[in-house]
Amino acid sequence: MSAEAAELISLLDALQAAERAGADALERWVASCRDPRLRGGLRVICARDRSHAALAEARLRALGGVPTATANGELLAVCGIVGDPQVSDRTKLTVLLTRLAGGVEGTIAVVARTSRDDAETHALLIAIGEDDRASLRWLRDINDTLDGR
Amino acid sequence: MSDDRQDVTTFLDALRAAESAGADVLNAWVAVCTLDELRGGLRAIAEREAVHAELIAGRLRDLGASCSATVNELLRVGAVTRFGSSTLSDEEKLALVLARYPDDAAVTRPIDRMMDALDGDPETRELLRLVAEGEVATIAWFRAYQRALGRRIPLPG
Repeated sequence: MSAEAAELISLLDALQAAERAGADALERWVASCRDPRLRGGLRVICARDRSHAALAEARLRALGGVPTATANGELLAVCGIVGDPQVSDRTKLTVLLTRLAGGVEGTIAVVARTSRDDAETHALLIAIGEDDRASLRWLRDINDTLDGR
Repeated sequence: MSDDRQDVTTFLDALRAAESAGADVLNAWVAVCTLDELRGGLRAIAEREAVHAELIAGRLRDLGASCSATVNELLRVGAVTRFGSSTLSDEEKLALVLARYPDDAAVTRPIDRMMDALDGDPETRELLRLVAEGEVATIAWFRAYQRALGRRIPLPG
């Protein structure tokens, strides 16, 4: 396996772990969320994240890898807040928006850059990145709506 | 169930069936797609369609409605066969998909209309808002990919 392929597999592994951890946290948030507008969108974002984890895992397996990564401590801390039923929806939104502004988008951008020589992986990640940008836009919009803006 | 509620669940059920059939067609295309980049995009888009179908099915269950709509089987099998065929080129399949949506609004017009009628059900409305965004992203990706190919293929007669 080339160094480039090994690096790509490692990044896909980190991505599948992050997307799965995010989906698990959002699932816990949906279960305790009392605002129907928020709940409706969170369900979609949660399902997207889970499907992204599955797509990244399938791709890394197709490249000869095996998923072993777990989400890093910083992400797990965010997930702990997002999944905590004692934390308010507004606080969770703020935490998530702060994280997404430089977090998941950045991760996908790094993987997409690394996969330039692998057109299939590259296109897959571009599409995943588009989903995540749409999720971020919706979260910003609903945050503004809840603020009465 | 009120007439309005019935209209909503009928629409959701039909949309669920269409999204599920769309995922089948795209997966059939993935299996024979010869272009690496297109195959990567198709995998993500097929998964997006399947996720939409699952989300809408879940919402229908929450609303106490059943999932019973089906896409006409002849149409579904015909599309799966056509897009799963190696005889038709990827470029021709791409042109067939895009010919169905002459403009971006055509993709989401039925969903947008239903969202306008969903003031009393904000959970379903927000779910549909994100589903509609996903559909727009799908067509935008297909258009961008076709442009990148740098040539347009006339539709088969």
